[in-house]
Amino acid sequence: MAKVMHEEIINLKKEFIEMANLALSMLDDAINALINKDIELAKTVDKRKRSIRDYDVDMEEKVLKLIALYQPMAIDLRRLATILKNITYLYRLGRYGKDIAATVKNFVDLPPLSESLGIIHMWEHVKPMIEDAIEAFDVEDISKLKNFEERDNEVDQLRWSIFRESVSYMMEYPKYITACAYILMIARYLERCGDHACKMAEKIHYMVTGDHIEIS
Amino acid sequence: MNVKVSLKKKNMMNEKFGQKFEPIAPYENDIIIKSKKLNLWYDDNHALIDIDIKVKRNKITAIIGPSGCGKSTLIRSFNRMNDIIDCCKIEGEVNYHGKNIYSDDINIIQIRKSIGMIFQKPNPFPMSIFDNIAYGPRLHKEYRNVDLDELVEKNLKRAVIWEEVKDRLEDSAISLSGGQQQRICIARALAIEPDVILMDEPTSSLDPIATRKIEELIFELKKKYTVVIVTHNMQQAARISDYTGFMYLGEMIEFGETEQIFEKPRKELTERYITGRFG
Repeated sequence: MAKVMHEEIINLKKEFIEMANLALSMLDDAINALINKDIELAKTVDKRKRSIRDYDVDMEEKVLKLIALYQPMAIDLRRLATILKNITYLYRLGRYGKDIAATVKNFVDLPPLSESLGIIHMWEHVKPMIEDAIEAFDVEDISKLKNFEERDNEVDQLRWSIFRESVSYMMEYPKYITACAYILMIARYLERCGDHACKMAEKIHYMVTGDHIEIS
Repeated sequence: MNVKVSLKKKNMMNEKFGQKFEPIAPYENDIIIKSKKLNLWYDDNHALIDIDIKVKRNKITAIIGPSGCGKSTLIRSFNRMNDIIDCCKIEGEVNYHGKNIYSDDINIIQIRKSIGMIFQKPNPFPMSIFDNIAYGPRLHKEYRNVDLDELVEKNLKRAVIWEEVKDRLEDSAISLSGGQQQRICIARALAIEPDVILMDEPTSSLDPIATRKIEELIFELKKKYTVVIVTHNMQQAARISDYTGFMYLGEMIEFGETEQIFEKPRKELTERYITGRFG
């Protein structure tokens, strides 16, 4: 019966990678839609929110069923615990993608604010963190997680830099206050995405080594 | 060094209140059974190889491992049950309260009285429930003036079976269910006030409800006794024990706190065994 459980865990890991790629694509497309003011692309992101929800519910059920039926131990238990925790983070990532996509319509007739205020630059920092976490989970190797704390600090600094720039932009051009408020919100979402990547990295570290760490 | 300083300080503080601080027993004093380079052969079969194990007082120690790895042989060597097997040869030491139970001057009866054993299949004597519990005390002189009614009741209560049998103490113990019989056997072992209770797969012939009752009982027992349990059921070991040892082909591969063994085993062999990637 252990063989059945091991096969199920392998399948769950594959499903987790699919979910992770879906969440990443939602964020990536949301940022691209924002930069290119592409309403149609933004709409496709919104449509994906149902799928990410389905992955979350379905995988949670599968993990709980495996624990109940097979009482896994050691690395098997750690893999399942990591999946159970990290699907919540992936779900949140996907939802942030949806939330960012929902703001795209507010930028259509405006100058390229997001670009000038550094949202792309921030995403270029956050995206590889999520990709590295996914890869670390897939190959069960923590070497790519080692500098997550520094990377997260950089993301935090970028967020405050966007904050400062946006505030001065709002003072200079009051007609863009609403749009700049959205930019502040998006920067906050991306900063949270960086935090979620760190939380995922903590769990993956636990999965691989059995030791809990804190990336703050 | 640090301990001495702090004890001195505490004593100074406590003397003000007219009481003296009791030093904490060093770790070694908590060890009730300690084997040293224990080797055991059944003819040419080397069944236990250099086993070093420390069993801590008032803790449950579980021994796990595949069939034939030497788990039962190990706990049987803790109260010299292997003595009755002709082809069995033992080297090394099993120290009980610091004294080697295999030394010549040891009283085997006293050892087996202090270190009780519960077997896989419940084995009540073919006599009444009352007589099963009173059997041991009747054999030992020191119980001559003890009120047996009281003793039987006390031990049936300890084994959490009193309520189920109190109105039929004269019935044959064999008429009880498997789970009840096993608790009678535990009560019988407790009746002569042992120090350590060895359990060799005590629930493997029982249904899930009886198993749960025995597990709850084992958990209660550790308040007063030290328990060493051999089990095939890893979940059981994970649920009830404080320490776990994993044996394979006569060797103690890994020994440690149960949580560590089941969550983060150090040895690959242990990992493979507990995750079912074995053989």
